[in-house]
Amino acid sequence: MLRVRALLAGCVLGVFATAAGAQFNLNRLFDTVKNLGQATTEINEQQEAEIGREYAALLVGAAPLFDNADAQRYVNQVGRWLTLNAERPDLNWRFGVLDSDNINAFATPGGYVFITKGLLARLKSEAELAGVLGHEIAHVVKKHHLAALRKGAGMQAGANILAEFAAQRGTNRMIADRLVSGLKEVMLRGLDKDDEYEADRMGVVIAARAGYDPYGLPAVLQMLQGMNPQDSGLTLLFATHPTPDARLDTLDSVMGARLDRFAGQPALAERFARVMSGPPAGSAVQQK
Amino acid sequence: MKRVLLFLLLALAAAPAAAQESGFAVRESEVRKEPFSDAATVGTLPAKTQVKIVKREGGWLQIESPAATGWVRMLAIRTGATGADPASGDAGVKSLFNLARTGSSGTAVATGVRGLDKEQIQNARPNPAELEKLAGYAVAKPDAEQFAAGDPQLKAQTIEYVSAPGAGAQR
Repeated sequence: MLRVRALLAGCVLGVFATAAGAQFNLNRLFDTVKNLGQATTEINEQQEAEIGREYAALLVGAAPLFDNADAQRYVNQVGRWLTLNAERPDLNWRFGVLDSDNINAFATPGGYVFITKGLLARLKSEAELAGVLGHEIAHVVKKHHLAALRKGAGMQAGANILAEFAAQRGTNRMIADRLVSGLKEVMLRGLDKDDEYEADRMGVVIAARAGYDPYGLPAVLQMLQGMNPQDSGLTLLFATHPTPDARLDTLDSVMGARLDRFAGQPALAERFARVMSGPPAGSAVQQK
Repeated sequence: MKRVLLFLLLALAAAPAAAQESGFAVRESEVRKEPFSDAATVGTLPAKTQVKIVKREGGWLQIESPAATGWVRMLAIRTGATGADPASGDAGVKSLFNLARTGSSGTAVATGVRGLDKEQIQNARPNPAELEKLAGYAVAKPDAEQFAAGDPQLKAQTIEYVSAPGAGAQR
Protein backbone atom coordinates (compact mmCIF):
# COMPACT_ATOMS: atom_id res chain seq x y z
CA MET A 1 0.00 0.00 0.00
CA LEU A 2 2.77 2.39 0.87
CA ARG A 3 4.87 1.39 -2.10
CA VAL A 4 5.37 4.17 -4.58
CA ARG A 5 6.71 4.02 -8.10
CA ALA A 6 9.28 6.71 -7.90
CA LEU A 7 12.86 7.42 -7.18
CA LEU A 8 13.43 8.31 -3.60
CA ALA A 9 14.00 11.83 -4.80
CA GLY A 10 10.57 11.81 -6.35
CA CYS A 11 8.99 11.47 -2.94
CA VAL A 12 9.99 15.00 -2.14
CA LEU A 13 7.82 16.68 -4.69
CA GLY A 14 5.63 13.77 -5.47
CA VAL A 15 5.64 14.70 -9.12
CA PHE A 16 8.20 12.22 -10.45
CA ALA A 17 5.93 9.23 -10.22
CA THR A 18 6.70 8.25 -13.79
CA ALA A 19 10.47 8.45 -13.43
CA ALA A 20 12.14 5.13 -13.99
CA GLY A 21 13.55 3.65 -10.86
CA ALA A 22 13.30 0.98 -8.27
CA GLN A 23 10.29 0.52 -6.12
CA PHE A 24 10.75 1.95 -2.72
CA ASN A 25 8.96 1.30 0.42
CA LEU A 26 8.31 4.59 2.15
CA ASN A 27 8.64 2.87 5.47
CA ARG A 28 12.21 2.17 4.59
CA LEU A 29 12.96 5.83 4.01
CA PHE A 30 11.53 6.62 7.41
CA ASP A 31 13.70 3.94 8.95
CA THR A 32 16.72 5.36 7.19
CA VAL A 33 16.12 8.87 8.46
CA LYS A 34 15.35 7.54 11.90
CA ASN A 35 18.54 5.51 12.01
CA LEU A 36 20.53 8.54 10.95
CA GLY A 37 19.08 10.47 13.85
CA GLN A 38 20.18 7.77 16.23
CA ALA A 39 23.93 7.82 16.35
CA THR A 40 24.12 4.31 17.71
CA THR A 41 22.19 2.68 14.89
CA GLU A 42 24.23 1.41 11.99
CA ILE A 43 23.13 2.52 8.54
CA ASN A 44 23.13 -0.47 6.22
CA GLU A 45 24.40 -0.36 2.65
CA GLN A 46 20.90 -0.20 1.21
CA GLN A 47 20.04 2.79 3.35
CA GLU A 48 23.33 4.42 2.50
CA ALA A 49 22.56 3.99 -1.21
CA GLU A 50 19.14 5.61 -0.72
CA ILE A 51 20.62 8.61 1.04
CA GLY A 52 23.31 8.83 -1.63
CA ARG A 53 20.77 8.81 -4.43
CA GLU A 54 18.89 11.64 -2.74
CA TYR A 55 22.13 13.56 -2.25
CA ALA A 56 23.27 13.04 -5.85
CA ALA A 57 19.84 14.01 -7.22
CA LEU A 58 20.19 17.32 -5.39
CA LEU A 59 23.67 17.95 -6.76
CA VAL A 60 22.59 17.35 -10.36
CA GLY A 61 19.57 19.48 -9.53
CA ALA A 62 21.90 22.35 -8.60
CA ALA A 63 24.10 21.87 -11.70
CA PRO A 64 23.28 19.47 -14.56
CA LEU A 65 25.74 17.05 -16.11
CA PHE A 66 28.25 18.48 -18.57
CA ASP A 67 26.94 17.57 -22.01
CA ASN A 68 29.99 15.66 -23.22
CA ALA A 69 29.79 11.88 -23.33
CA ASP A 70 33.54 11.39 -23.94
CA ALA A 71 34.54 13.39 -20.89
CA GLN A 72 31.88 11.68 -18.76
CA ARG A 73 32.97 8.23 -19.84
CA TYR A 74 36.65 9.00 -19.31
CA VAL A 75 36.07 10.26 -15.78
CA ASN A 76 34.09 7.07 -15.08
CA GLN A 77 36.91 4.89 -16.42
CA VAL A 78 39.54 6.59 -14.28
CA GLY A 79 37.25 6.71 -11.26
CA ARG A 80 36.05 3.13 -11.45
CA TRP A 81 39.63 1.88 -11.82
CA LEU A 82 40.56 3.85 -8.71
CA THR A 83 37.71 2.25 -6.74
CA LEU A 84 39.10 -1.18 -7.60
CA ASN A 85 42.19 -0.12 -5.68
CA ALA A 86 40.30 1.09 -2.63
CA GLU A 87 38.02 -0.53 -0.10
CA ARG A 88 34.37 -1.04 -1.03
CA PRO A 89 35.02 -1.82 -4.72
CA ASP A 90 31.56 -3.36 -5.08
CA LEU A 91 29.52 -0.26 -4.39
CA ASN A 92 27.40 1.11 -7.19
CA TRP A 93 30.03 3.69 -8.15
CA ARG A 94 28.98 6.52 -10.47
CA PHE A 95 31.16 9.41 -11.61
CA GLY A 96 30.03 12.59 -13.26
CA VAL A 97 31.22 15.97 -14.54
CA LEU A 98 28.90 18.76 -13.44
CA ASP A 99 28.27 21.64 -15.82
CA SER A 100 29.45 24.30 -13.43
CA ASP A 101 32.31 26.77 -13.68
CA ASN A 102 32.80 26.58 -9.96
CA ILE A 103 35.94 24.75 -8.89
CA ASN A 104 34.93 21.83 -6.70
CA ALA A 105 34.40 18.10 -6.38
CA PHE A 106 31.80 16.19 -4.41
CA ALA A 107 31.04 12.73 -3.17
CA THR A 108 27.90 11.27 -1.65
CA PRO A 109 27.23 8.22 0.48
CA GLY A 110 26.87 5.08 -1.59
CA GLY A 111 29.43 5.95 -4.27
CA TYR A 112 28.45 9.00 -6.32
CA VAL A 113 31.45 11.19 -7.16
CA PHE A 114 31.31 14.47 -9.05
CA ILE A 115 33.86 16.92 -10.36
CA THR A 116 32.92 20.29 -11.80
CA LYS A 117 33.82 21.25 -15.33
CA GLY A 118 35.57 24.28 -13.79
CA LEU A 119 37.97 22.10 -11.83
CA LEU A 120 38.43 19.58 -14.65
CA ALA A 121 39.47 22.40 -16.98
CA ARG A 122 42.24 23.43 -14.58
CA LEU A 123 43.79 19.97 -14.25
CA LYS A 124 46.88 19.06 -16.24
CA SER A 125 47.00 15.27 -16.16
CA GLU A 126 45.14 12.06 -15.46
CA ALA A 127 47.19 11.69 -12.26
CA GLU A 128 45.77 15.01 -11.05
CA LEU A 129 42.27 13.82 -11.89
CA ALA A 130 43.04 10.56 -10.07
CA GLY A 131 44.17 12.53 -7.01
CA VAL A 132 40.94 14.54 -6.91
CA LEU A 133 38.75 11.46 -7.45
CA GLY A 134 40.84 9.48 -4.95
CA HIS A 135 40.14 12.11 -2.30
CA GLU A 136 36.39 11.87 -2.99
CA ILE A 137 36.46 8.06 -3.05
CA ALA A 138 38.09 8.15 0.39
CA HIS A 139 35.13 10.14 1.72
CA VAL A 140 32.80 7.39 0.50
CA VAL A 141 34.99 4.55 1.76
CA LYS A 142 35.15 6.15 5.22
CA LYS A 143 31.46 7.19 5.23
CA HIS A 144 32.40 10.75 6.15
CA HIS A 145 29.10 12.16 4.92
CA LEU A 146 27.04 9.90 7.13
CA ALA A 147 29.06 11.11 10.10
CA ALA A 148 28.43 14.73 9.08
CA LEU A 149 24.71 14.06 8.59
CA ARG A 150 24.50 12.59 12.05
CA LYS A 151 26.19 15.59 13.53
CA GLY A 152 23.81 17.97 11.80
CA ALA A 153 20.96 19.43 13.77
CA GLY A 154 18.78 18.78 10.77
CA MET A 155 19.01 15.06 11.24
CA GLN A 156 18.17 15.21 14.91
CA ALA A 157 15.11 17.19 13.96
CA GLY A 158 14.49 14.55 11.33
CA ALA A 159 14.21 11.93 13.99
CA ASN A 160 11.71 14.09 15.83
CA ILE A 161 9.67 14.62 12.69
CA LEU A 162 9.64 10.90 12.32
CA ALA A 163 8.15 10.45 15.72
CA GLU A 164 5.48 12.93 14.77
CA PHE A 165 4.76 11.01 11.64
CA ALA A 166 4.40 7.83 13.62
CA ALA A 167 1.87 9.63 15.75
CA GLN A 168 -0.04 10.58 12.57
CA ARG A 169 0.68 14.22 13.06
CA GLY A 170 3.12 14.65 10.19
CA THR A 171 3.13 14.03 6.47
CA ASN A 172 5.34 11.94 4.18
CA ARG A 173 6.52 15.07 2.53
CA MET A 174 7.73 16.54 5.77
CA ILE A 175 10.00 13.55 6.33
CA ALA A 176 11.56 13.74 2.89
CA ASP A 177 11.91 17.53 3.11
CA ARG A 178 13.73 17.11 6.37
CA LEU A 179 16.19 14.71 4.80
CA VAL A 180 16.78 17.10 1.89
CA SER A 181 17.44 20.01 4.22
CA GLY A 182 19.86 17.87 6.22
CA LEU A 183 21.73 16.99 3.03
CA LYS A 184 21.90 20.60 1.91
CA GLU A 185 23.24 21.52 5.30
CA VAL A 186 26.12 19.08 4.86
CA MET A 187 26.81 20.34 1.32
CA LEU A 188 27.07 23.92 2.55
CA ARG A 189 28.75 23.32 5.88
CA GLY A 190 31.16 20.68 4.63
CA LEU A 191 32.61 17.69 6.36
CA ASP A 192 34.70 17.45 9.47
CA LYS A 193 38.09 19.08 8.79
CA ASP A 194 39.96 16.00 10.03
CA ASP A 195 37.98 13.93 7.54
CA GLU A 196 39.23 16.22 4.77
CA TYR A 197 42.83 15.66 5.84
CA GLU A 198 42.21 11.93 6.02
CA ALA A 199 40.75 11.97 2.50
CA ASP A 200 43.90 13.76 1.29
CA ARG A 201 46.15 11.15 2.89
CA MET A 202 44.08 8.33 1.41
CA GLY A 203 43.64 10.04 -1.96
CA VAL A 204 47.36 10.12 -2.73
CA VAL A 205 47.66 6.43 -1.82
CA ILE A 206 44.60 5.36 -3.82
CA ALA A 207 46.05 7.13 -6.88
CA ALA A 208 49.42 5.45 -6.33
CA ARG A 209 47.77 2.04 -5.86
CA ALA A 210 46.02 2.51 -9.19
CA GLY A 211 49.39 3.07 -10.85
CA TYR A 212 49.45 6.88 -11.02
CA ASP A 213 52.02 9.41 -9.91
CA PRO A 214 50.85 10.06 -6.31
CA TYR A 215 51.72 13.73 -6.52
CA GLY A 216 48.69 14.61 -8.63
CA LEU A 217 46.59 15.70 -5.66
CA PRO A 218 49.38 17.83 -4.14
CA ALA A 219 49.81 19.45 -7.56
CA VAL A 220 46.10 20.32 -7.65
CA LEU A 221 46.29 21.76 -4.13
CA GLN A 222 49.31 23.80 -5.17
CA MET A 223 47.34 25.10 -8.16
CA LEU A 224 44.42 26.06 -5.88
CA GLN A 225 46.81 27.65 -3.41
CA GLY A 226 48.21 29.84 -6.19
CA MET A 227 44.76 31.11 -7.19
CA ASN A 228 43.15 34.26 -5.87
CA PRO A 229 41.30 33.12 -2.73
CA GLN A 230 38.62 35.70 -3.57
CA ASP A 231 37.89 34.02 -6.90
CA SER A 232 34.14 33.55 -7.02
CA GLY A 233 34.58 30.02 -8.35
CA LEU A 234 36.31 28.97 -5.14
CA THR A 235 33.87 30.32 -2.57
CA LEU A 236 32.13 27.09 -1.68
CA LEU A 237 35.28 24.95 -1.87
CA PHE A 238 37.14 27.27 0.48
CA ALA A 239 34.15 27.56 2.81
CA THR A 240 33.93 23.78 3.20
CA HIS A 241 37.60 22.73 3.26
CA PRO A 242 40.76 23.61 5.15
CA THR A 243 42.95 26.03 3.17
CA PRO A 244 45.10 24.48 0.41
CA ASP A 245 48.08 25.74 2.39
CA ALA A 246 47.08 23.75 5.48
CA ARG A 247 46.33 20.69 3.37
CA LEU A 248 49.74 20.89 1.69
CA ASP A 249 51.43 21.29 5.08
CA THR A 250 49.67 18.18 6.34
CA LEU A 251 50.51 16.15 3.26
CA ASP A 252 54.11 17.37 3.56
CA SER A 253 54.29 16.08 7.13
CA VAL A 254 52.81 12.64 6.39
CA MET A 255 54.10 11.84 2.90
CA GLY A 256 57.78 12.53 3.40
CA ALA A 257 59.59 10.16 1.10
CA ARG A 258 57.16 7.29 1.67
CA LEU A 259 55.61 7.42 -1.78
CA ASP A 260 58.77 8.39 -3.65
CA ARG A 261 59.05 4.86 -4.93
CA PHE A 262 55.86 5.43 -6.91
CA ALA A 263 56.55 9.00 -8.05
CA GLY A 264 57.82 7.69 -11.36
CA GLN A 265 54.46 6.15 -12.18
CA PRO A 266 52.70 7.75 -15.14
CA ALA A 267 50.87 11.07 -14.88
CA LEU A 268 49.35 10.62 -18.33
CA ALA A 269 49.20 14.29 -19.20
CA GLU A 270 48.98 13.46 -22.90
CA ARG A 271 45.96 11.19 -22.66
CA PHE A 272 44.24 13.71 -20.40
CA ALA A 273 44.85 16.51 -22.87
CA ARG A 274 43.68 14.31 -25.73
CA VAL A 275 40.35 13.54 -24.10
CA MET A 276 39.88 17.15 -23.10
CA SER A 277 40.44 18.34 -26.64
CA GLY A 278 38.04 15.83 -28.18
CA PRO A 279 38.48 12.92 -30.60
CA PRO A 280 41.19 13.19 -33.26
CA ALA A 281 40.16 14.81 -36.54
CA GLY A 282 38.25 12.44 -38.77
CA SER A 283 37.12 10.10 -36.04
CA ALA A 284 34.28 12.27 -34.83
CA VAL A 285 31.88 11.00 -37.47
CA GLN A 286 32.67 7.36 -36.82
CA GLN A 287 32.27 7.81 -33.10
CA LYS A 288 28.88 9.28 -33.57
CA MET B 1 31.57 17.49 -29.89
CA LYS B 2 34.94 18.98 -30.67
CA ARG B 3 33.68 22.45 -30.20
CA VAL B 4 32.11 21.64 -26.89
CA LEU B 5 35.48 20.39 -25.72
CA LEU B 6 37.41 23.25 -27.15
CA PHE B 7 36.72 25.41 -24.14
CA LEU B 8 38.67 23.01 -21.95
CA LEU B 9 41.74 23.50 -24.10
CA LEU B 10 41.20 27.21 -24.13
CA ALA B 11 40.84 27.22 -20.37
CA LEU B 12 44.04 25.22 -20.04
CA ALA B 13 45.87 27.59 -22.29
CA ALA B 14 44.52 30.59 -20.46
CA ALA B 15 45.14 29.28 -16.95
CA PRO B 16 47.17 31.88 -15.13
CA ALA B 17 50.61 30.49 -15.84
CA ALA B 18 52.18 33.38 -13.97
CA ALA B 19 50.81 32.01 -10.72
CA GLN B 20 52.63 28.76 -11.41
CA GLU B 21 55.95 30.31 -12.21
CA SER B 22 56.99 31.77 -8.92
CA GLY B 23 56.94 30.37 -5.44
CA PHE B 24 58.71 30.33 -2.13
CA ALA B 25 60.10 27.76 0.28
CA VAL B 26 57.96 27.10 3.35
CA ARG B 27 60.87 25.45 5.10
CA GLU B 28 64.60 25.06 4.69
CA SER B 29 65.19 22.57 1.92
CA GLU B 30 68.02 20.75 0.28
CA VAL B 31 68.41 21.50 -3.40
CA ARG B 32 69.45 18.47 -5.41
CA LYS B 33 71.01 17.97 -8.78
CA GLU B 34 68.35 15.46 -9.87
CA PRO B 35 64.75 14.82 -8.77
CA PHE B 36 65.73 11.98 -6.38
CA SER B 37 66.36 12.00 -2.66
CA ASP B 38 69.75 10.33 -3.13
CA ALA B 39 70.90 12.75 -5.79
CA ALA B 40 73.82 15.08 -5.02
CA THR B 41 72.99 18.15 -2.96
CA VAL B 42 73.84 21.34 -4.80
CA GLY B 43 72.75 23.80 -2.14
CA THR B 44 70.29 24.74 0.57
CA LEU B 45 67.20 26.83 0.14
CA PRO B 46 66.48 28.87 3.30
CA ALA B 47 62.83 29.18 4.33
CA LYS B 48 60.92 31.96 2.55
CA THR B 49 63.38 32.10 -0.34
CA GLN B 50 61.67 33.22 -3.55
CA VAL B 51 62.09 30.74 -6.38
CA LYS B 52 61.18 30.46 -10.00
CA ILE B 53 59.44 27.15 -10.74
CA VAL B 54 60.64 25.57 -13.96
CA LYS B 55 58.74 22.28 -13.93
CA ARG B 56 57.45 19.42 -11.82
CA GLU B 57 58.50 15.80 -11.95
CA GLY B 58 56.83 13.43 -9.52
CA GLY B 59 57.27 14.86 -6.05
CA TRP B 60 59.95 17.31 -7.13
CA LEU B 61 60.04 20.81 -8.53
CA GLN B 62 62.86 22.16 -10.59
CA ILE B 63 63.55 25.66 -9.27
CA GLU B 64 65.83 28.57 -9.92
CA SER B 65 66.84 30.95 -7.16
CA PRO B 66 69.82 33.11 -6.19
CA ALA B 67 70.49 30.63 -3.36
CA ALA B 68 70.61 27.52 -5.51
CA THR B 69 69.25 26.02 -8.67
CA GLY B 70 68.11 22.42 -8.95
CA TRP B 71 65.38 20.15 -7.60
CA VAL B 72 63.50 20.52 -4.31
CA ARG B 73 60.65 18.56 -2.77
CA MET B 74 57.42 19.83 -4.22
CA LEU B 75 55.72 20.02 -0.82
CA ALA B 76 58.42 22.37 0.48
CA ILE B 77 57.27 24.99 -2.03
CA ARG B 78 54.15 27.15 -2.15
CA THR B 79 53.20 29.04 -5.27
CA GLY B 80 52.94 32.81 -5.34
CA ALA B 81 54.88 35.34 -3.31
CA THR B 82 55.74 34.90 0.35
CA GLY B 83 52.61 35.56 2.33
CA ALA B 84 51.51 38.85 0.82
CA ASP B 85 50.35 39.60 -2.69
CA PRO B 86 48.16 36.62 -3.54
CA ALA B 87 47.08 36.13 -7.09
CA SER B 88 44.27 38.45 -7.99
CA GLY B 89 41.43 38.50 -10.43
CA ASP B 90 38.82 35.98 -11.40
CA ALA B 91 39.70 32.82 -13.25
CA GLY B 92 37.61 33.75 -16.25
CA VAL B 93 36.61 30.18 -16.99
CA LYS B 94 33.09 31.42 -17.33
CA SER B 95 33.81 33.81 -20.17
CA LEU B 96 35.85 31.16 -21.97
CA PHE B 97 32.97 28.80 -21.61
CA ASN B 98 30.56 31.29 -23.14
CA LEU B 99 33.01 31.91 -25.94
CA ALA B 100 33.29 28.20 -26.68
CA ARG B 101 29.53 27.89 -26.75
CA THR B 102 29.14 30.52 -29.42
CA GLY B 103 27.92 28.84 -32.54
CA SER B 104 26.90 25.61 -30.87
CA SER B 105 23.33 24.87 -29.96
CA GLY B 106 24.04 25.54 -26.31
CA THR B 107 20.50 24.68 -25.38
CA ALA B 108 21.42 22.95 -22.16
CA VAL B 109 23.05 26.07 -20.86
CA ALA B 110 21.29 28.61 -18.75
CA THR B 111 23.30 31.76 -19.40
CA GLY B 112 25.19 33.18 -16.50
CA VAL B 113 24.63 30.18 -14.32
CA ARG B 114 27.75 29.52 -12.38
CA GLY B 115 26.18 26.59 -10.56
CA LEU B 116 26.87 25.08 -7.19
CA ASP B 117 27.13 28.31 -5.30
CA LYS B 118 25.58 28.41 -1.87
CA GLU B 119 22.39 29.90 -3.22
CA GLN B 120 22.01 27.33 -5.97
CA ILE B 121 22.41 24.47 -3.56
CA GLN B 122 19.97 26.10 -1.20
CA ASN B 123 17.38 26.28 -3.97
CA ALA B 124 18.20 22.95 -5.62
CA ARG B 125 15.43 20.50 -6.39
CA PRO B 126 16.22 16.82 -6.92
CA ASN B 127 16.67 15.94 -10.59
CA PRO B 128 16.08 12.17 -10.98
CA ALA B 129 16.15 12.39 -14.79
CA GLU B 130 19.72 13.67 -14.69
CA LEU B 131 20.66 10.78 -12.40
CA GLU B 132 19.33 8.36 -15.00
CA LYS B 133 21.60 9.98 -17.56
CA LEU B 134 24.52 9.62 -15.16
CA ALA B 135 23.89 5.89 -14.86
CA GLY B 136 24.34 5.63 -18.63
CA TYR B 137 27.98 6.69 -18.30
CA ALA B 138 28.80 4.19 -15.57
CA VAL B 139 31.74 1.84 -16.13
CA ALA B 140 31.55 -1.79 -14.97
CA LYS B 141 34.38 -3.44 -13.07
CA PRO B 142 35.71 -5.53 -16.01
CA ASP B 143 35.67 -2.45 -18.23
CA ALA B 144 37.69 -0.53 -15.66
CA GLU B 145 40.19 -3.37 -15.54
CA GLN B 146 40.41 -3.34 -19.30
CA PHE B 147 40.95 0.42 -19.25
CA ALA B 148 43.90 -0.03 -16.89
CA ALA B 149 45.34 -2.91 -18.90
CA GLY B 150 45.30 -0.88 -22.09
CA ASP B 151 47.90 1.41 -23.53
CA PRO B 152 49.19 3.27 -21.58
CA GLN B 153 49.04 0.64 -18.88
CA LEU B 154 48.25 1.35 -15.25
CA LYS B 155 49.82 -1.16 -12.92
CA ALA B 156 48.13 -1.77 -9.57
CA GLN B 157 50.33 -1.58 -6.46
CA THR B 158 49.85 -2.72 -2.90
CA ILE B 159 50.44 0.28 -0.66
CA GLU B 160 49.43 0.96 2.93
CA TYR B 161 47.69 4.24 3.71
CA VAL B 162 49.85 6.88 5.34
CA SER B 163 48.94 7.64 8.94
CA ALA B 164 47.84 10.92 10.43
CA PRO B 165 50.59 13.10 11.89
CA GLY B 166 51.57 11.76 15.28
CA ALA B 167 49.65 8.53 14.78
CA GLY B 168 51.89 5.49 14.80
CA ALA B 169 55.48 5.18 13.75
CA GLN B 170 55.35 6.42 10.17
CA ARG B 171 58.19 7.96 8.17
